[in-house]
Amino acid sequence: MSFQKEGFVPNPVLAGLIGICPLVVAAKSLAEGAAYGLGAALCAFLLGLLIPPARVFLPDRLQAPASLALSAALALIYGFCLEMYSSALAARLWIYLPLLAVSGLSLVALRLSSSASRSGPDGQSRLAVIAMQAAWFLVTSTCVGAARELLGLGTLTIPTTGPSLSRIAVADIAPLRILVTPAGGFILLGFLVALYRVTLRASGRKGL
Amino acid sequence: MSYLGIVLTSIFASNALLTYGFGSIPEFERRSSASFASALALACVNIVASALLWLIHSLVLAPLGLASLDILFFALIAVPLIKFIARVAQQGSIKQGSLLFKLGERSDDIAVGSLVYGIALLSARSGYSFPEALAASAAAGLGYWLSQFLLEAVRERLELSDLPAPFRGAPAMLLSAGLMALAFMGVDAVLVKNLVGA
Repeated sequence: MSFQKEGFVPNPVLAGLIGICPLVVAAKSLAEGAAYGLGAALCAFLLGLLIPPARVFLPDRLQAPASLALSAALALIYGFCLEMYSSALAARLWIYLPLLAVSGLSLVALRLSSSASRSGPDGQSRLAVIAMQAAWFLVTSTCVGAARELLGLGTLTIPTTGPSLSRIAVADIAPLRILVTPAGGFILLGFLVALYRVTLRASGRKGL
Repeated sequence: MSYLGIVLTSIFASNALLTYGFGSIPEFERRSSASFASALALACVNIVASALLWLIHSLVLAPLGLASLDILFFALIAVPLIKFIARVAQQGSIKQGSLLFKLGERSDDIAVGSLVYGIALLSARSGYSFPEALAASAAAGLGYWLSQFLLEAVRERLELSDLPAPFRGAPAMLLSAGLMALAFMGVDAVLVKNLVGA
């Protein structure tokens, strides 16, 4: 039996390289990684949930622009919610909040949910696949953010409410300060993708 | 900052791919982004998208205090318009292989994505005047093309190299992108300002 039939959905970031470039810049700390990952995951899941019923009463020509507008509206709402929860975190994510509308994960969700059938060729529900990918993305984004902050600055930023973020000092030294720059993000993700491949190969599974 | 400073900053110090993470690196796309048609399409689409977003943002939404709604207007107006222009270019071209056809085809592909929207958003929110925003967006498109062109050249070399199996393909490209981002970081905004003297 293949792992696809067992319900195994590979990590969309490390295997499918989905949304990896904005992630490199947006997820610089634990709080930013978690907030960006949560936004992307929520947008993708809600797109998967809302688009199939909306397709019933929308003419074919309007489906693509309406789906994109829905994605933009979801990103906007998430941005407003994050602004209310923590204005400091929203400010740090800056233009990456509205860009959630066109993130790689949202575009994959748009493509999957705009298909006529509710299940893919392997029999898995498209919504379940989107949900699994969204969950993977959230976990990966949070872990990447935490790793970069921990190794780069020696701290961990907790997503707290209010105008400022609380930062916990974990280590006195910051061994790899480059990791909090986009260049360091690309390099770290390069190693993570290679490590993920080794892990998949060791467990006998295949990527996307 | 002078126009030359804006152009140099948008190409190097604020590179769309290596500094802001817009778009994707060559390994992830089936179609090569390093061709002349791609460079032209990127510049054209970015100019149209940035012009529309700047006008909507600065003349309509910002005076009403609704600047954060620009994403909705971009999705509803700019993307359909770019796609319409791309289709017209494809249908108006004499033959399938012509530059106009390739331009339309490539523009249609890149209309929806973080690259075009991200560059348009940066141009609109950076406090540039209208001509400065157009120059910055065209230069950002060219900066993206330059990084794609260089990474494509690196990829060709890497394909001939004897890399360990887990590093072949995307990991090697991500490491190369990281090293290239480091090189681009060297040309920062202050250096550009000192070079062009404004």
